[in-house]
Amino acid sequence: MTSVETKSRAAGKPETGQPVLIIDDVVKTFGDAEEAVTAVDHVSFNVKQGEFVAVIGPSGCGKSTLFNIIGGLLGEYDGNVMIDDERISGPHPAVGMVFQEESTFPWRSVIDNVAFPLELRGVAKSERYDRARHFIGLVGLDGFEKRFPSQLSGGMKQRVSIARTLVSNPRILLMDEPFAALDEQTRLLLGDKITQIQQELKQTTLLITHNLTEAVQLSDRIVVMTYRPGKVKRIADINLQRPRTSDVVGSDAFGHYVAEIWNDLREEASRGMQETEQVARADRRHG
Amino acid sequence: MASTGAIAMRVPVSRAVRERRETRNVFYVRAIVALAIVAIWEGISWSGLFFGDVVPSLAKIIPALFKLLVNPAFWANLQITLVEAAASLAIGAIAGIVVGILLGSSRFFGAAFEPYVYYLSPTPRIILFPIMIMWFGVGIASKIALGALSSFFAIALSTAAGMRQIDKVLIRVGRSFRATPWQMATKIYLPAMRLPVLTGIRLGLGNALITALLAETKLSNQGLGFMIMQIYTRFDMPTLYALLIVVFFIAGACNAVIGMIARSTK
Repeated sequence: MTSVETKSRAAGKPETGQPVLIIDDVVKTFGDAEEAVTAVDHVSFNVKQGEFVAVIGPSGCGKSTLFNIIGGLLGEYDGNVMIDDERISGPHPAVGMVFQEESTFPWRSVIDNVAFPLELRGVAKSERYDRARHFIGLVGLDGFEKRFPSQLSGGMKQRVSIARTLVSNPRILLMDEPFAALDEQTRLLLGDKITQIQQELKQTTLLITHNLTEAVQLSDRIVVMTYRPGKVKRIADINLQRPRTSDVVGSDAFGHYVAEIWNDLREEASRGMQETEQVARADRRHG
Repeated sequence: MASTGAIAMRVPVSRAVRERRETRNVFYVRAIVALAIVAIWEGISWSGLFFGDVVPSLAKIIPALFKLLVNPAFWANLQITLVEAAASLAIGAIAGIVVGILLGSSRFFGAAFEPYVYYLSPTPRIILFPIMIMWFGVGIASKIALGALSSFFAIALSTAAGMRQIDKVLIRVGRSFRATPWQMATKIYLPAMRLPVLTGIRLGLGNALITALLAETKLSNQGLGFMIMQIYTRFDMPTLYALLIVVFFIAGACNAVIGMIARSTK
């Protein structure tokens, strides 16, 4: 418990540029010998301190599998995912996860949702409320502390989830398509919020996404994955200036990056689509 | 009249006002229904269509109700029935929640044992009453046993369903924050299941009350069901109806209390 506290932001994180998360030759296969499906195939990349990295790929490229491995929810895999020279084999205190699905606790108010990780650690009520309030403010939900999730919009609920993860003070924020269920405008605006938070906290972040503009808008680097089995196709540096806002989506450089990554992605996405259609046709033929 | 109504409809009002109006209208309709029932009742009573006291006038039922409420025997019997129902519910709820969690948490347990619970649950428990009398005697123990059995099924089935309905992502959230098994149980599973469990308890309470009363009318020497049969053998219809009114109110009050608990935990 205290070890988590001593690793807090103020108490000296490693220098910016040091790799915090090392993904080294990770392989994950599901099912038995004959029916085996390789979801993640020899994937390697690093996330450096303070960096924002997106993993992008078509549906079925093993993104979510990778998310679950790094989050420690899938304990058995080949290769190594390392944080602080420690191999991940279960949920690690340095990793904070934000899920794709709506994941707030409906029976808890916003502040009790956000304070949840602190409650688990036995932090006193007044202190955990103070810290929760800080992060509620950071995601722009001041004044909503006493509301319940049923009274909030989808975007607000996702911000509650993000605040809840940030309050646990993770060294790596790990997000799996957190805005997938939201409309495009909300997504762009929340992207701004994420950029702002990331700059304010120097938060190391790994974002799993299938959304091209979202990936380019937010990232320093983008890991492009292939369709099944999921390999790293390319790692692209995004040299757009920081601080960045959603205005960047109108710039030429932005369009250039989107086109470039789409070029890599198109082949994979169409391969995925063809395969899905073939399976659907075969299913129809065989009744 | 119609035109003023139409104008009033067009005035924009806030949702709160509209809801208040609706609540008021619902209340009026309910009051009218109650009055209509009383009027029909009195009409039948005065028409003389039925033999003697089968449908007694309210003029006879209301004094009988007051006489009943000052009768110490009524309060003693009421207490017996309530103790039976409460004890039945307590036993049935604890057993039902435990079994429901077992059925809901393991696919194997659920598949293997749930059909028994499911198909036994609509069986009328009263057919087991002779067995309960042999095991537990004619006193309150046999009624409690039967009541517990009848509330158990509803609670076990809705707890099992509640356990399966838990949003899996909430469990992953708990795991990602490294909650201990105890924290998972108290901070995620139980709160996530509270509504189906409370629904089960509500159904279970109804079952426990029905079963206790029914068993008392069959074979017993105390309780409201016993009292109903005693009054019936005297053919004291006004008192019988007075007692039925009391039973309606008790059942309604029990339901209201559980409903309040359900709302407060929302």
